[in-house]
Amino acid sequence: MSTSAELRLEADAARRIVLEAALASGSCHIGSSLSIVDILTVLYQRTLRAGEGDRFLLSKGHAASALYAVLARAGVLGEGDVIAGYCRDGGTYAGHPERHVPGVELTAGSLGHGVAVALGRALADRADGRDARTFCLVGDGELDEGSVWEAVALAGHLAPPGLRLIVDANGFQGLGRVGEVLSLEPLGEKFRAFGWVVSEVDGHSHAALACALGAPARRPVAIVARTVKGHGVPALEGEFMSHYRSFRPHERAILFAGLDRIEEAA
Amino acid sequence: MRDAFFRALARLGAADERVWALTGDLGVGLFEPFEAAAPGRYLNVGIAEQTLVGVAAGLAYAGKVPFAYSIAPFVTSRAHDQVRVDVACAGANVKLVGVGSGVSYGTLGPTHHAIDDLALTRVLPGMTVLAPGDPAEAERAAHAAAVHEGPVYLRLGKNGEPALLPPDVDFRIGRALELRGGPDVTIACTGTALREATAAVDLLAQEGVDATLLHFGTVKPFDAEALIAAAARTGAVVTVEEHSTVAGFGSAAAEVLAESGAGAVLRRVGLPDTFAHAVGSRDYLVDRYGLSGPAVADAARGLLERSPACPTT
Repeated sequence: MSTSAELRLEADAARRIVLEAALASGSCHIGSSLSIVDILTVLYQRTLRAGEGDRFLLSKGHAASALYAVLARAGVLGEGDVIAGYCRDGGTYAGHPERHVPGVELTAGSLGHGVAVALGRALADRADGRDARTFCLVGDGELDEGSVWEAVALAGHLAPPGLRLIVDANGFQGLGRVGEVLSLEPLGEKFRAFGWVVSEVDGHSHAALACALGAPARRPVAIVARTVKGHGVPALEGEFMSHYRSFRPHERAILFAGLDRIEEAA
Repeated sequence: MRDAFFRALARLGAADERVWALTGDLGVGLFEPFEAAAPGRYLNVGIAEQTLVGVAAGLAYAGKVPFAYSIAPFVTSRAHDQVRVDVACAGANVKLVGVGSGVSYGTLGPTHHAIDDLALTRVLPGMTVLAPGDPAEAERAAHAAAVHEGPVYLRLGKNGEPALLPPDVDFRIGRALELRGGPDVTIACTGTALREATAAVDLLAQEGVDATLLHFGTVKPFDAEALIAAAARTGAVVTVEEHSTVAGFGSAAAEVLAESGAGAVLRRVGLPDTFAHAVGSRDYLVDRYGLSGPAVADAARGLLERSPACPTT
């Protein structure tokens, strides 16, 4: 099987966990999780070098189910455990991730925290002479938080070589389209102005993601990933309400319609 | 107290390569000894307190022991969400250091006064809150903070605080010091209010009132045992803090006493739920807002007049 076919199947498997967990718990934030499944699949299946100490910090914590799903696919968590224990009474996996969960590197949920913490980790790596990379993912709506830009500025100044920031640019935030609520475009130019290396990619192209995430660099890199909120579920793709909508068991076919379509194509 | 802390910080940096010192662009001329003792482990993040705390948390997750320094309201209030999530909720081994307890910054005004830092830190689960009473104790508290595994807030005065504690006393997190053991009334204080509490006890002694003086170098975990024992013995407690009377040290004491059944009467001395809008030095403001030694003694006298809970018939 080709490597691209493998990644496609991996991403579908992770999406399936996200959807099963959403259906089992009746919880929201499905669209936010789906927009980063391809990114995290490439990251965990291709990019992260566990032996070198590479790590990933999810700053947009409301996409927790995508993180749990790829951690399950990577063998860190159990798939059945994630589906049964996500957003459930007495479950293990909260709607926003906490550091005590295996594989979770950042307690997140209050937006705008991840970049500074990732910078701290990257500075520790440089001080200790470790060749590890610290990946942090923020949402494009999250960029409204001033704390993101405090840390982006300092990171550009201090320039630890292992810092990588992924922006999940799905174009939506709490009350509308990012471009209408608070447009921060051109994003790439802003990061460049702060001294970062920038790449912009299709956030659902595994080949493009693998190239951008793995590209060598000796200073902080911002990867602006253009994504589709709700990717993989036709009823949710590009839909503002995919952030809020939850599904009941009798709506299962709506959620899984996209995956069946993908499987037929494969 | 500040200089004493920085002496301790340099020693800690020399002794333990996990120790880092971070600042939010404050502390002119103070970090040089640390930089010399711990090359490469000093970082000024700029005027960016949220980043100060976030970067400190990242270093702590990597096994470092970062001390994050700023003026007390900036490191506790300005960056509170980072303190709450990245440090307390995540259980990070970060040492937050706030200089300028209470109204130490005097004429600089309410933005620089720390009247709510104890409240903001002690409310957080897992947080240890230290408020030393004199310079030597600040040094010992810094060492205790470094050794302690987990989040710590260390509240410092500024400079010029007198030496008030016995030189040979150990600092143990969670333990109050009984400096006098009189039977008439308990004066319980924390941090820089040790000065006013000591003055009050001396004034009372001149009148023949023999007070117990309890100094809490730790606000959290609170030494309930020491307070309850003193309250049971004296029947009257005055708390003294350079902080709002809301949700700080006096409130912690009130919570303990109310649930203890000790039956003591209580009076809290501190900033009476107000910002210190008046303009003046630390000592002027302490006097103006009713925290001075004579004011504490007055509060004690008031309790003495009403504390005997004797049957009337």
